[in-house]
Amino acid sequence: MKRFILTFLVLSLGVAVSIGTVAVAQEKVTITVQDYFDPAGGMAKFIDEMAVEFERNHPEVKINHVYIPFAQLLPTILQQSLTRTVPELTMADNPWVPQLIKAGTYKDITDQVKEWGWENWEDFFKGHRELTSANDRIYAFQITTNNLALFYRKGLLEKAGIANPPETWQELKEQSQKIKEALDIYGFAFCATASEEGTWQFEPFLWSNGGSLLELDQPEAIEALQFLTEMVVAGYTPRDIVNVSGQGDVTQWFMNAEVAMMVNGNWEFGWHLTEDVMQQLGDVAVATLPVPQKGMRPVVPFGGECFGISGNIDPAKFDLAWEFLKILGSSDTMLRANIKHGGLPTRASAAGKILAEKPILKPFLDQAQYALPRPLVGGIDKYPDISSTVWVAVQKALTEMATPEEALKNAASAIREIFSAEEYEMYKNMARELLAEARGK
Amino acid sequence: MKTTSHVGYFFIVPALVYVLFFGVYPLIYNFILSLKEVTLITYMSGTSPWVGLANYWQTIKDVVFQRTFTNTLLFTSLSLAFQFLIGFFLAILFNRSFPLKGLLQSLIMIPWVLPIIVSGSFFRWFFSDRGMVNGFLLAWDFIDKPIPWITSQKLPIFAVTLANIWLGIPFNFVLLYTGLRAIPIELFESADIDGANWWQRIAFITFPVLRPVIITTLTLGCIFTVKVFDLVWIITQGGPGDVSHLLSTLSYSWAFNKFHFGRASSVLVIMLSLVVSLTVLLNSIRSEGE
Repeated sequence: MKRFILTFLVLSLGVAVSIGTVAVAQEKVTITVQDYFDPAGGMAKFIDEMAVEFERNHPEVKINHVYIPFAQLLPTILQQSLTRTVPELTMADNPWVPQLIKAGTYKDITDQVKEWGWENWEDFFKGHRELTSANDRIYAFQITTNNLALFYRKGLLEKAGIANPPETWQELKEQSQKIKEALDIYGFAFCATASEEGTWQFEPFLWSNGGSLLELDQPEAIEALQFLTEMVVAGYTPRDIVNVSGQGDVTQWFMNAEVAMMVNGNWEFGWHLTEDVMQQLGDVAVATLPVPQKGMRPVVPFGGECFGISGNIDPAKFDLAWEFLKILGSSDTMLRANIKHGGLPTRASAAGKILAEKPILKPFLDQAQYALPRPLVGGIDKYPDISSTVWVAVQKALTEMATPEEALKNAASAIREIFSAEEYEMYKNMARELLAEARGK
Repeated sequence: MKTTSHVGYFFIVPALVYVLFFGVYPLIYNFILSLKEVTLITYMSGTSPWVGLANYWQTIKDVVFQRTFTNTLLFTSLSLAFQFLIGFFLAILFNRSFPLKGLLQSLIMIPWVLPIIVSGSFFRWFFSDRGMVNGFLLAWDFIDKPIPWITSQKLPIFAVTLANIWLGIPFNFVLLYTGLRAIPIELFESADIDGANWWQRIAFITFPVLRPVIITTLTLGCIFTVKVFDLVWIITQGGPGDVSHLLSTLSYSWAFNKFHFGRASSVLVIMLSLVVSLTVLLNSIRSEGE
């Protein structure tokens, strides 16, 4: 028996030594790039190509592009932070970024950006700059963005005797009624699931009407939810919007001509509404979102992903990681990446050029100028908490469990409890300022 | 020979390490989390302050938690009762021979074979406003507007319970059917000679002999049902609003939507205590009989 144990120990030692030797033999520096971009999608493929080119220019480097599914990415980053193994370049969805910066996940890159040229930083739209920096220090670049606009089926609108898409809430309601009467289908749909997607689709209505996530008991907020609830109760919008698995489900209804108009994002052109599908349907068009009154600006939240350098990076690898990040954040790369991805660039110089390639993105780009970063108008690192309170309230109103007023008043008091009194005042005023600026008032 | 007995310990090391790391450690860690105020930031920096039982107190007085607790009890008791009854009667039915028995027996297993993501998505569509149930009811003029199975306040928890009952029938059926097959036919034959009717045979032979099997089935069913997560998450995500949460989905939602890891852990500890006390209760019934 003893001999058995001895053999076992010797064998395991042997295995350990050989693994060690292999590791020493491999001299290449590995830079890991971690994100949730669908490996078959345009952005992931673009990063793969970029990696090949980077390796050609830096023969000593091996780029390891790792895919983590969306739902797993944040838990993964959490584990990696605890064990100080956050990959050299880590992507995050933009609402998480302020929290990750606060938690020290990202390294300060301000000095590198200054060396690169401050004009590059200023070329990023304001909202994206504010999101990826804190206390005047820069921690990440947002490389792609998106927002919500009104998709409509021209053919269906014409059949109902409607020439132009709605510009105001009132028109949206009237047209939906006409569509219901003429075609017996739903006029309008949006996504109200129990997830961030539900809150994010409510925000354009809330903000365009001057409401704030931190003052949900105010008339501006109640009116917005009242309007959406009326659309559902009148049967212009299917009540099933509270139970779709995500925004993509709404697109399916839209493609099947079950709804004539929907709120959705530009990523759909790289997902369901690809060029062949667009040709097949033949009548899909996009307009900026309807606003409460003529002359108002649609104020939408922006989405999109950010890349930053890991806070626990091996200092020997820092320069290479920065080199890679710099290429990702450069105007030209950003333009090419977003054309493939179906996204919008976050730099003014690149945004100007993408319209020539994809004119249908115009409404999204128009709105992008005033689009708001969700965390900055929603309590910064408490945004996830606030968001989940909001989607619960929206669902309760839409399913008539509570009136919009009751639902939002409850939500407002729950949200106030999340903060200390000073914090609340500070975040409330911050939201007010940003909203007023975005609304041009 | 003495040395051999010591070597024995060497062989249980892998299993012991496995249980310690993947069973005991997470349990203890979860309990520790439930005593701290843990948010995303304090979690990452490892500076979560101890708050004693504050998480439990806040959780218990939260109305959403209270409703969720009732939901879980309702969901578990209805699921167990109906899964068991239907499974039991199917087992009795299949204990005699009839044409196509083999085929029907495999059909009964379908809910168990399907991945939950498939059956869950199916039920979501089944119960939706424009789904199959409402489609049939509308077509046959039983109703004039769709019933909001999963888009109202009261019905969603029953809708998901219904789905879970369907899912749990095969499990109950298989265990009870196997148990039934083990009852010696002589018992029934002598009962027949004594003039027992069908009901008497069930009550005085099947039930007493099956007792251990029944209690095992109920215990396992109870454990499986209290911790159901995926089905509810796929059908309603705990919504609309927060009316159809179970303890498991509420905990997940507090942890990964709100990043209140401490309070989420306290919900899990409560859920665990619920499972343990129900199991102990069922086990005590078993030992009473023995």
